[in-house]
Amino acid sequence: MFAYYLGLALRSLKRNVMLTVLMIAAIGVGIGASMTTLTVFRAMDGDPIPQKSARLFAVQIDNWGPENRSHPSSDGLDSMLSYTDGLGLMNAHAAHRQTAMYTTAMALTPSASQLKPFMVVARASYADFFPMFDVPFRFGSQWSAADDAAHADVVVITRELNDKVFGGTDSVGKTVNLDDHEYRVAGVLDAWSPLPRFYDVHSSDKRFGKGDDLYLPFTRAIDGAMTTAGGMSCKDEPSGWEGILHSECIWLQFWVELPDAAAVVRYRGALNNYAADQQRSGRFHWPPHTQLRDVRQWLIYQHVVSDEVHILVLVSFSFLFVCLLNAMGLMLAKIVGRAGEIGVRRALGAARGAIVAQWLIEAGVIGFAGGLAGLALTVLGLLGLRSLLSESMIELTRIDVADVGIAILLAVAATVLAGLYPTWRATQVQPAWALKSQ
Amino acid sequence: MLKMTNLSKAYRTEVVETYALRDFSIHVREGEFVAVTGPSGSGKTTFLTIAGLLEEFTGGEYQLDGANVRGLRDNQRSRLRNEKIGFIFQAFNLIPDLNVQDNIDVPLRYRGLNGAERRRRIQESLERVGLSARSRHYPAELSGGQQQRVAIARALAGSPRVLLADEPTGNLDTHMARGVMELIEELHRDGATIVMVTHDPELAVRAQREVHVVDGQVVDLMVPPRAVVGAHARV
Amino acid sequence: MQLHPILSAMRRNKVGAIVICLQMAITLAILCNALFIIDQRLAMSRRPTGTDEVALFAIDNEWVGTPDDLSARTRTDIAALRTLPDVENAYSTASYPLANGGWMQGISIKPNQNDDTATASTYFGDEQMLRTLGLKLVAGRDFTSADIGERGATDGPLSPGVIVTRALAAKLFPDGSALSRSIYIEYPDRGMPIVGIVDRLAAPWMTTNAAAYYDYSVIEPFRFVNKSSSYVVRARPNRLAAAMRAAQAKLFELNGARVLRKVRSFAELRTRGYRDDRGLAIILSVVCAALVAVTAFGIVGLTSYWVAQRRRQIGIRRALGATRGAIVRHFQTENLLIAATGALLGIALAMAANLWMVSSFEMARLHTVYAVIGAVIVLLLGQLAALWPALRAASIPPALATRSA
Repeated sequence: MFAYYLGLALRSLKRNVMLTVLMIAAIGVGIGASMTTLTVFRAMDGDPIPQKSARLFAVQIDNWGPENRSHPSSDGLDSMLSYTDGLGLMNAHAAHRQTAMYTTAMALTPSASQLKPFMVVARASYADFFPMFDVPFRFGSQWSAADDAAHADVVVITRELNDKVFGGTDSVGKTVNLDDHEYRVAGVLDAWSPLPRFYDVHSSDKRFGKGDDLYLPFTRAIDGAMTTAGGMSCKDEPSGWEGILHSECIWLQFWVELPDAAAVVRYRGALNNYAADQQRSGRFHWPPHTQLRDVRQWLIYQHVVSDEVHILVLVSFSFLFVCLLNAMGLMLAKIVGRAGEIGVRRALGAARGAIVAQWLIEAGVIGFAGGLAGLALTVLGLLGLRSLLSESMIELTRIDVADVGIAILLAVAATVLAGLYPTWRATQVQPAWALKSQ
Repeated sequence: MLKMTNLSKAYRTEVVETYALRDFSIHVREGEFVAVTGPSGSGKTTFLTIAGLLEEFTGGEYQLDGANVRGLRDNQRSRLRNEKIGFIFQAFNLIPDLNVQDNIDVPLRYRGLNGAERRRRIQESLERVGLSARSRHYPAELSGGQQQRVAIARALAGSPRVLLADEPTGNLDTHMARGVMELIEELHRDGATIVMVTHDPELAVRAQREVHVVDGQVVDLMVPPRAVVGAHARV
Repeated sequence: MQLHPILSAMRRNKVGAIVICLQMAITLAILCNALFIIDQRLAMSRRPTGTDEVALFAIDNEWVGTPDDLSARTRTDIAALRTLPDVENAYSTASYPLANGGWMQGISIKPNQNDDTATASTYFGDEQMLRTLGLKLVAGRDFTSADIGERGATDGPLSPGVIVTRALAAKLFPDGSALSRSIYIEYPDRGMPIVGIVDRLAAPWMTTNAAAYYDYSVIEPFRFVNKSSSYVVRARPNRLAAAMRAAQAKLFELNGARVLRKVRSFAELRTRGYRDDRGLAIILSVVCAALVAVTAFGIVGLTSYWVAQRRRQIGIRRALGATRGAIVRHFQTENLLIAATGALLGIALAMAANLWMVSSFEMARLHTVYAVIGAVIVLLLGQLAALWPALRAASIPPALATRSA
């Protein structure tokens, strides 16, 4: 019977081409708009590290007290830590894996003298960073804990940087010149771009744009007085590099890996103990105020999905709703216009269910065609977005198989939903009308 | 075969209650050809819609092929309609986007028959009405008489127990009307049970017997049909 | 104009009328808010910085390694830039308008004040800064070479005096006494007197969340000397491109151990910085146009269907003496009634949506003027869309009345 209804639907659509085209176009445009924004939204809102997002936590600690707030956030905590707290927490070693980190800018002077020096963004972190965030290596591996302790001149470079400087070859053991110092390459990463870049959401460019170019030990960066490129907030003006290190200026990110719920509880306790110690020693004049947030909670807290995207998603789904109302109106008109035929079929023995099946399947066919049209428009829409928005958003405009499925499903489901009322009206056609409409 | 006893059908609007049929009784036996006549507004069309299970009735009893029809749910009525009744409408009521074959197919699809069985029945009924050559044509390509014959084939394909015809020649010219009536008489000779509603006394005489309806009730005609012709205005 | 037959006709076609009404209402709600957002974003992208953008470009300079003679190098760079034939003036600083990054600090008007009176952007510049940027002094004086000190990213000494923008002066000292009053920024117990007020100098950030203090800026008289700094250069009239090329060449000629991270004209910085805002405006415009089109087609479709459904009735009316115009007016009025209801509903929806966005996002409240404009557009849209089917209805021949069904 399904094939029969399918055939009837196709015939019915062919009969009034203009109307059919209008309906498919309307649904296509609605789906196109919605899927375009939904794709971007899903990319922004997705879990960048699903296999581990519940085990990685961002650490926050209030080191300015209730009277001094730099930017108001929902809980009065800032997303960055001071050097004192970062180092203190690293030394407390209360987590399975942990790293304090920040980004700094360095000038790389390539050995090939024709190439001018260029800027790289370097992330200063501890060796734990790499296993914590499941960072894949192409050649070599991360530096060791001993390297951290020794403040070694060692780096891990990304695949893109390796391609640019070493032509993509295995550069482990070779050196790079950063700000007039040679650093040994311990490892080369494979392609790695978790989006959003949850571990560094401070600036909107970093969330989705180009990531870091290389990594070096945190201890080495501190030794080299490498100032942060990732923003710093200070309560009082610091005096020199040492001043920054001893001040309450906040500029570090701190992440820990906690393998299970018990570890989380223990760490919360350790964190609060640390803050309590600071209070006891007189550095803090307020009770411990700390927080742990896993990746998903962190992303929500940081409002990673921009307001613009929220607005666009709302607007486009409202648009889809209007398109569906349109489709419903047109389907209603079509069905009431075909009341005669419906009456005849009922007279010939079609039960109400048969009428429902016939018209819902027709709605489904329209929905499917609309979905296909919508997909084509989505591709166009994403291309358009790419040219309109800044580079940092380009990664978000990729379409994957899931998006295709969602588009078709959404189109069919929505059109069938819109067809429910008109179909109900169709079932209300009395078989006796076949006689009466003389 | 088709037995109504004291049937009544009332239409209720906000203010007024009208009876389209009142105390209506009729008994059509298997193999009979009965004409139901009466002036316009007499209720004969209502009788047909109720007989065809197209509408529900208010009071009384209706038995179709031995089964009591009162209180049946919509799905059951649809099934009964599909299996027991063949309709022949005044306006043919063929579905314009379907060709002859597919039109006849419609009630068979709702029967749930398989492809081969349906094709066999369509073939047979087309031959019965003499239109096998036109199986791929669309209704718009056929004359009125041919369209009606397709409608009759559609009615026959499901092997119904009774054929209900509503002014079957009302939309046809005299020539085509004659052809269709001849076909209907043929079907009767072959054993079909036929109930035909008409206002045309010349058609009514071709049936076996006549039931006259006035104001929703069966009226006993003491006078022979010929005298009645003069009494009613030709519509 | 008889309303009654129109109303009763609509009652029989309730659902269709409701569908059109809802469509128009939602279209209106989206249109109002979208137009508002578009207007806001475009307005933001046109905010003046107070500088002569057409003549200016910025060079972001980063030295390789950590040289000890940063001060000498910076002075050499600036002197060399100033001597270039295509360059009028230049100075060294940490940030500049349209840079999208810089220093933001709390300003107090009393020593050791706990809460800041205002938040403002801090700029550094020497005595050529106002001339280079083309800022207009409206009170007090410019810096002299005696005022200028030198500082890096940290360890800034106390400035002998500062220049603030007119807006900041009004915010800090609403009584107009800003000139020669002191403000407290880096050192809560040591103030700096305001020696001059400029008309306008915008913050470096172009985002919506920085909009509140966009016009609050403080200039401290320092030559900025740091491993990473910026040179703002003013080109001679119509010599911008040449100046940009010459400046880069000259700087590399002086010392190749540097990276020029960015060399961009202010015009380019503005375009890049507001790209997302313009992009949003364009996207919303496209969606609005599509929305209007879809709703229009829907109205055409449904109205055509109603005309077809009532063919006989229309024929009868014509037979009874109704003119073509009367038929058209009938359908237009029907559409107007639906549209008016839709407009009222739509305005309510628009306000509700806006209130929700105000509480959830950084959004301003919708002005009534947008609601009015939106309502007018939607009503006109309805009337235009219904016109074609209405004209078709008017051409139905009166002879239809005599034919039975």
